[in-house]
Amino acid sequence: MAETLILPQAPTVSLPTKLLRLIPGVALLALIGYAGKLLEKNINGYTKANHWTFPNIEYVLWAILIGLAISNIFGLAEIFKPGVATYEFWLKAGIVLLGSRFLLGDVWKLGGVSILLVGIEIVGAIAFMTLLGRWFGLRPKLTTLLAVGSAVCGVSAIIATKGAIDADDEDSSFAIAAILALGAIALFTFPLIGHYIHLSDHAYGVWAGLAVDNTAEATAAGALYSDPAAKLAVLTKTTRNALIGFVVLAYAIYWASKGQAQVVGNKAAFLWQKFPKFVLGFLLISALATAGFFTKDQNTSLANLSRWAFLLTFAGVGLRTNFREMRKQGLRPFAVGFIGEVVIAVFTLGLVIGAGKLFGF
Amino acid sequence: MTQPASRTAVTKKFQLSIDAWAVIVALVAALLIRTGIISRVPW
Repeated sequence: MAETLILPQAPTVSLPTKLLRLIPGVALLALIGYAGKLLEKNINGYTKANHWTFPNIEYVLWAILIGLAISNIFGLAEIFKPGVATYEFWLKAGIVLLGSRFLLGDVWKLGGVSILLVGIEIVGAIAFMTLLGRWFGLRPKLTTLLAVGSAVCGVSAIIATKGAIDADDEDSSFAIAAILALGAIALFTFPLIGHYIHLSDHAYGVWAGLAVDNTAEATAAGALYSDPAAKLAVLTKTTRNALIGFVVLAYAIYWASKGQAQVVGNKAAFLWQKFPKFVLGFLLISALATAGFFTKDQNTSLANLSRWAFLLTFAGVGLRTNFREMRKQGLRPFAVGFIGEVVIAVFTLGLVIGAGKLFGF
Repeated sequence: MTQPASRTAVTKKFQLSIDAWAVIVALVAALLIRTGIISRVPW
């Protein structure tokens, strides 16, 4: 008689328990985000009323700064961690809802230009990061992870590639730490550079979407500049995200050909598995808005809901950025990432300025 | 007593990704706004 071997299993946690565990962290995200919004309103009001010259610091920056201060001064207590990790969920829900602010025609038009620029950026970034990794003598799979992280979409791309090429945990931790640290730097430097060289909202948004690696940081870097820039940064970054499957597949095939990763069987299924589904949600909401499914007031409500979702995301960006933890990962991957990111930022800035002259933005 | 292993039962739970949850929640919110159940979202 056939018998079943009973394997030891990890204790299962029920859905209500899982949801309960999220509450403290989500509440913290909401509290920080709302504090950022209140600070923007009150400080700007106070400085204007007293005729002080003070830079207009937006809620985005306040939320990130408060999060950074909590994470780096006090540390994040265990009880908050599961809820804080939901910042990625709020980011993606916010992007889907942001679709209501795009007419489908604009998505095709801007997306078409974005795809061209993203294609050039991906090829250039991968080639340069691969060379840089070799020059610095990094392990080949760490170089692959850094190349994918900086060329496509930061942490998600690194995690997707790690599984596909059988990279070890240490390499992916190095790559993730480097990409997160560089994302934090980009967050503060990009708006300053954009203002300094007087980039238009459109050009800046496309640049941030092309050059900032993580979707959350790209969105925040756009929002720190202006609302229209944030929209363009999200659209360009989403185009980059949509191509993640192709890049990961190419690397999986490359490492499998060297006998250092599993062979990919069904390539279409692989691409679908890696495809970020929120892109489809974004396009669906955009199509509905274009078809007049929502009234003007409803569109405004959807856009506001998207901003609330981003507010939680920005608080999460600050909270999960811990410089002490990043420093522990070592300097060499960070140095490779830093040099690579600076070159990619300059390269993409040139691309955007050139495309701006060609396509008129 | 250890039982002989002639068959291994592997049950894989169906789980939605964060992406899929984000899309579902956003679409439900859009539907609630469209039907007027949520009449206005202030900023």
